[in-house]
Amino acid sequence: MSQATATATTATEPKLWGGGHSPFNVSYGKMMMWFFLLSDAFTFGALLIAYGTTRFFSAVWPDANQVFKSFPFLEGMNLPLLFVSLMTFILIMSSVTMVLAVHAGHYGDKKNVVKWLLWTIVGGICFLSCQAWEWTHLHHEGGWWGSFTADNTPLSAFQGFFDIKRDGLATVAASGMRSTHDFFNYFFTITGFHGCHVLSGVCFNIMILVNTVNGTYQRRGHYEMVEKCGLYWHFVDLVWVFVFTCFYLL
Amino acid sequence: MSHHNENSIQHLYEGDQSKLYSGVMSHHSDVESTESKNQIKRIWKVFWVLLLITLVEVVLGMFFSHEMPKVLVAFLFLALTLLKAGYIVAIFMHLGDEVKNFIVTVMIPLVLFIWFIIAFLADGGFWLHMNQSFR
Repeated sequence: MSQATATATTATEPKLWGGGHSPFNVSYGKMMMWFFLLSDAFTFGALLIAYGTTRFFSAVWPDANQVFKSFPFLEGMNLPLLFVSLMTFILIMSSVTMVLAVHAGHYGDKKNVVKWLLWTIVGGICFLSCQAWEWTHLHHEGGWWGSFTADNTPLSAFQGFFDIKRDGLATVAASGMRSTHDFFNYFFTITGFHGCHVLSGVCFNIMILVNTVNGTYQRRGHYEMVEKCGLYWHFVDLVWVFVFTCFYLL
Repeated sequence: MSHHNENSIQHLYEGDQSKLYSGVMSHHSDVESTESKNQIKRIWKVFWVLLLITLVEVVLGMFFSHEMPKVLVAFLFLALTLLKAGYIVAIFMHLGDEVKNFIVTVMIPLVLFIWFIIAFLADGGFWLHMNQSFR
């Protein structure tokens, strides 16, 4: 392109990479949040793929319908996957309230930002409470980091986690304890790491709620911080979608 | 975006909006406008889609997954999971409303996952095979 045409183009419309504005039409902060989330996706991906590798490596694997079949206050009933469905629902719901807060922020609607952020925080706390219950429950069943390693562990301690009809008692007796050990190590590590993300997300949301109430973003002229924290919060929901599939469905 | 000082370069770095919301604040549209209401409608529609997919997954996992071929179950669950993930990223995170260059920039590194998953799962499967074949 000759010098003359280049100047003419610049005069009519700014060139995409010509400087003076963001070629991606996103601010620096938002782009860096995306790149941070990308790196976080690789961390979670590495954990989940390590889990998958160990599972492929194992002759038997605990059955989700057997491990996760309890519901608070309904002890002794066989309700597979019901509680985790509730947790998933809570997290999806809080993602919706967050995107509504971001939406209100774009229109400078302070009242609705506050309302939807509050609901998002409530959803996050509900999710964390559910997780606390589930961890406690599984801990009572004998699961924890480094559990199921003692040589004299009876078969009865872990055979309840398996689908005996499908796997056969002999295989479970031979390799079940090792895979139960692996299963719980990965379960507590990955859901724990995800739970830390939810917890920090709730903290960020509380911080931006305080700022919104104080009118910080109104004075600044935009609610971009709500949008950035929203990206983080949706990512936490996104990771849960994959954790849900890997641990509870497959 | 009329509040910033024209001499300040701060506005170059903050407050840029995706295509979806560009100009919303400078045009002083309000949250009661049709445009805004359509947005909210889209958000709730996606919520119902996500809920429906999750329900299908749970019903499949509870009642049918043990009677079906393992490969088919894995394929179905992964397809539904990716569909859910797509909705969350495209609509809730508004990636679908960004400039195409930016979408591509974010998506390209994720291609590594294809190799990552195939290589490691194959490795796990091979070790199981070795362990069971040579005792």
